[in-house]
Amino acid sequence: MQEGRPLSPTEINRDLLRSILDTPRWFWPVVGILATIVLAAAITIGIMINSGLGITGLNRPVVWGFFITNFVFWIGISHAGVMLSAILRLAKAEWRRPATRAAEVLTIFSLITALSMPIIHTGRPWRAIYWFFPYDFARGIWPNVRTPLVWDPSAIFTYLTSSTLFVLIALIPDFAVLRDHTTGLTHRIYSLLAMGWEGNPRQWKMQILSGVLLSALILPVFVSVHSIVSWDFGMAVAAKTWHSSIFAPYFVVGAVHSGVSAVVFVLIILRYIYGWQAYIRHEHVDALGRLLIVVATGWFYFFVMEVIFGIYGREADEIAVRELQFFIWPISGWTLVFVITTYFIPVALWLTKAARRNLWIMSLACISVNIGMWLERYIIIVPGLMNRGVFTFTWNDYVPRFPEMIIIAATFAFVSMLLLLFSRVFPLVPLYDIKEGEFLRTEVKIGRRVVPATFRED
Amino acid sequence: MSSHSSSHSESQYPADMWVLPNAQRMSWDVGGKTRSIPSLYKLVLIATGVLAVLGVVGFFMRLSADGFSANGHGPWGYYASAFAYVFLITGAAPLVSVAFRITKSHWRRSISRIAELFAVVGVLNVILYIPLIFILPSINNPNFGAGVHGELVIRRTIWMEVPFGAPHLWNFLGLLALAVTSLAILWMSATPDMAEARSSATGLRKLKYNLLSGHWYGTGRQWNRQKANLAILGALYFMTLIFVQFLIVSDYAMSLIAGWKDSILPPLYTVTGFQSALSLILIIAFVMRRWGGYREYIGISPFWAASKIQLGLTLLWTYHLFAFFITFWYGRLEVEQNLLRYLLFESYGPIFWANLLFIFFIPFFILMWNPIRKSDWGPALAGVSILVGSLLFHIRMFVGAFNAGDIYDLGLSSVPPAVFPDIWDVFMVIGIIGLAAFLYLVAAKVIPILSIWEVKEGALYQSKRRLFHGEYMVLAKPE
Amino acid sequence: MAKRPILGLFNDANAAADAGDGLKSAGVSEKDYDFLTDAPYPEGAFGEREEKHRLYIYPFVGAVLGLTSALLLTTMSQMAYPLVTGGKPIISLPPMAVISYEGTMLGAILFTVLGIIFESRLPNLKKGLYDTRITEGYIGVLVNAEETQHDRVADVLNQAGAVDVKRQS
Repeated sequence: MQEGRPLSPTEINRDLLRSILDTPRWFWPVVGILATIVLAAAITIGIMINSGLGITGLNRPVVWGFFITNFVFWIGISHAGVMLSAILRLAKAEWRRPATRAAEVLTIFSLITALSMPIIHTGRPWRAIYWFFPYDFARGIWPNVRTPLVWDPSAIFTYLTSSTLFVLIALIPDFAVLRDHTTGLTHRIYSLLAMGWEGNPRQWKMQILSGVLLSALILPVFVSVHSIVSWDFGMAVAAKTWHSSIFAPYFVVGAVHSGVSAVVFVLIILRYIYGWQAYIRHEHVDALGRLLIVVATGWFYFFVMEVIFGIYGREADEIAVRELQFFIWPISGWTLVFVITTYFIPVALWLTKAARRNLWIMSLACISVNIGMWLERYIIIVPGLMNRGVFTFTWNDYVPRFPEMIIIAATFAFVSMLLLLFSRVFPLVPLYDIKEGEFLRTEVKIGRRVVPATFRED
Repeated sequence: MSSHSSSHSESQYPADMWVLPNAQRMSWDVGGKTRSIPSLYKLVLIATGVLAVLGVVGFFMRLSADGFSANGHGPWGYYASAFAYVFLITGAAPLVSVAFRITKSHWRRSISRIAELFAVVGVLNVILYIPLIFILPSINNPNFGAGVHGELVIRRTIWMEVPFGAPHLWNFLGLLALAVTSLAILWMSATPDMAEARSSATGLRKLKYNLLSGHWYGTGRQWNRQKANLAILGALYFMTLIFVQFLIVSDYAMSLIAGWKDSILPPLYTVTGFQSALSLILIIAFVMRRWGGYREYIGISPFWAASKIQLGLTLLWTYHLFAFFITFWYGRLEVEQNLLRYLLFESYGPIFWANLLFIFFIPFFILMWNPIRKSDWGPALAGVSILVGSLLFHIRMFVGAFNAGDIYDLGLSSVPPAVFPDIWDVFMVIGIIGLAAFLYLVAAKVIPILSIWEVKEGALYQSKRRLFHGEYMVLAKPE
Repeated sequence: MAKRPILGLFNDANAAADAGDGLKSAGVSEKDYDFLTDAPYPEGAFGEREEKHRLYIYPFVGAVLGLTSALLLTTMSQMAYPLVTGGKPIISLPPMAVISYEGTMLGAILFTVLGIIFESRLPNLKKGLYDTRITEGYIGVLVNAEETQHDRVADVLNQAGAVDVKRQS
């Protein structure tokens, strides 16, 4: 399955380094706008730290609202990176080549964003450090390693470290290309980063091995991260609907669903803004669309299981939350939107080849998935907390206020800004991977039909 | 984790990684192999037949001792385990052919018929299910209000509103649908091979092949229709299978233990099925390669590719188990503690640890090594261990569920002891497995166990070519 | 006399591979020449020497170290603040499992990354003879030879079709 014309190494360098070697006119204005939004959120966070979390809509009993929803959402997005690059690398799928690095980089930035959410949510972020890490020996303050709230940072730290290193290792050969194409200070910086890479067989062998070995090692980490996020909820018996043993795989599959959709969207945007039509081709988007049908259907299975076994126990309080989720306005409305936008609309679109090859439709489908997946987290978190206890003054609903809104909006701006800045200094499509794909491609003739083929080492 | 060897001779793959058989010789040779029955094959056939007879004896002895309801469903625990074991593996096996045909993986070609042949056991699954219809206790609490039995009017079940015929009729129909669909897949996939053999076959075999494949001439239209039908039936089979697995494990395991609410059990059961089925297929492929004379048709590539998936499923199995365990361990409700003590640590403790050893630790430590995954014996060896672990898993789940006390109770309020098999239970377990094996062995002599047309098709798309100064495999993928 | 590098540039991979064969038959040791490329050519494409490495040891060492530190971290912080929860022993394995797992994986990955860098012989501070055309798709054949041999090596390279032969100035 290969389309497109053959590309020479020079052409590949020129096209894929375009984002770095010359800055488009729109670049800095766009970054400026995004930075303004991020700045506004930063100021809001400052005010929030000063006045307390009371200025948000958070109150008893709903103490986890938009921030935690957004945290789970961005953790979900971060799952695309490894899902795509590791699994497709291990499966030796040819069409992975242009998508891997963008996916990995999206992983890193969305993880950073996700991590910031609970830290902001703590209200006093500077105290968070001794909840996670044993350092305050003098006062005898120790983290409680038995709580999932401490497992979480350990998992995210591992995932962030390993995916960052994964990206950096794979960037070394591309740093060498940049070193050879720049002069002056930038040349010196890229030379430093390339560490004297010259591209001999030994170095390439290590590079290939690192792709396989690190993929295999990061995959189990990737599965653990979202599982542990789900256990933030699942370990507790107090909030109904949370204590479900399926939560871990359910969250992981949902994360892959939203993450891969996000990668498709990012790829389409990159193709458009940097003119990478020859690299990010319709066949790639098509293949990702087919993969997404499987992922979405798997997710739907876990969703159905989660709901069925929620009702299965026939416990009154659990049934009450389910009723709230499915039948009581306005949450029932959001649930409807969530199920339709996460599964039915996109999968119906992906089922036809014409839609999978239409970039507009693909973009809309992928955005639809992510709207749905954001709502999914909201519908898991908030109704579960909206229990009415003995005191009537805790009978509050959750209505987000301005600070949450601007901070949530800014997370999207933040990730977009980081991606743009990254593409300004590092190639977002791995050059050597594309070049390798080019000389491994060949053809097989069967009768009069010419079938595209690839050389394989195994 | 993969380890890479340090020299070319090892890291460049074994010479028989990909085999490119000669098409004409293959048709003739495989046809001959299908017709001939070597003496060892006969011996195995007789052995499995004897086991099957023992199973029938065990079944009737159990029936005469306990009947279908006199002593409750408890005594039938081992029967249910054996049924579930055979159903889970043989039901999931055809998926190996379906799934990798959809992903267009070339390596599947030589093992896809091994997978599809399991369709013949689908009929056995339907028959084996019939006794279980009579065994399953009613959903409505028969003694509610009499103060004798439990506290629930309707026991916990996935059949919330108890529709007509629930659950027996629907489970039965589900199994029947699976059997019919998988047979249809087998027939459609085997038609070209049978058509090829119909001219050379004689006697009864000729009649049968003519009957089953008389319409087939291999026109372009027929090939296209076959491809489309296989894809649609495959997708249908996949969805039905997941659903029926969910029904069986919920009705015959989860809902028989009072208060066991475990949403991850159906996915865990499904993963067990995929892991065991793939393992069994690799074992059969290994046996064919080593002793069946199929070495020139089955290369190492199916083992190398499938064992990665086998390893992934092995890890997934443990992941699902841990997700179940940690949720219950942290929940610490009385029923959760009792369940963990019952199924994992006390009553069925030894069986659980053996289950974990065979289904996870042994295969994991075998499959984590690259050189072993590049062999035919490694994945097969891990597969044997997985099948043993899977049987122990079924015993723990189903025997445990069948003997967990009052099912109309709100929750498991005490930890019942484990139930060990008596002689008739042993007979039934080995008998059911033997009967399934017997059927498979017979089917393999009726329909070629190698998908000749798929291997031939594969040979069109694969070749060895030079690139610069090395020789590599070229794989083409038609869209 | 010390060996000095000489670099032949090829715009065709087959020619570069021929140059490798030529060097071998001219008696240059396999250890003394290397192929510099801008992309990973399949192993053996140039008939180059086999590379030995020990990368597979690193993840195991890292995993053991990571597991050990994670176990120490969890047991010691629980012992330092002994709080009985749910009637369980102070040190019980299930709550430590997750952090131990993450520690193991982190250790394995960190050591693998170190291993990759070390086994690639990076950072390579004294970069020898190089040409920026290599990242434009040219293939460099870098030969280490006695200075007296340089002319012979250059001949071999040119015969195979080198577009340029560079010596260290």
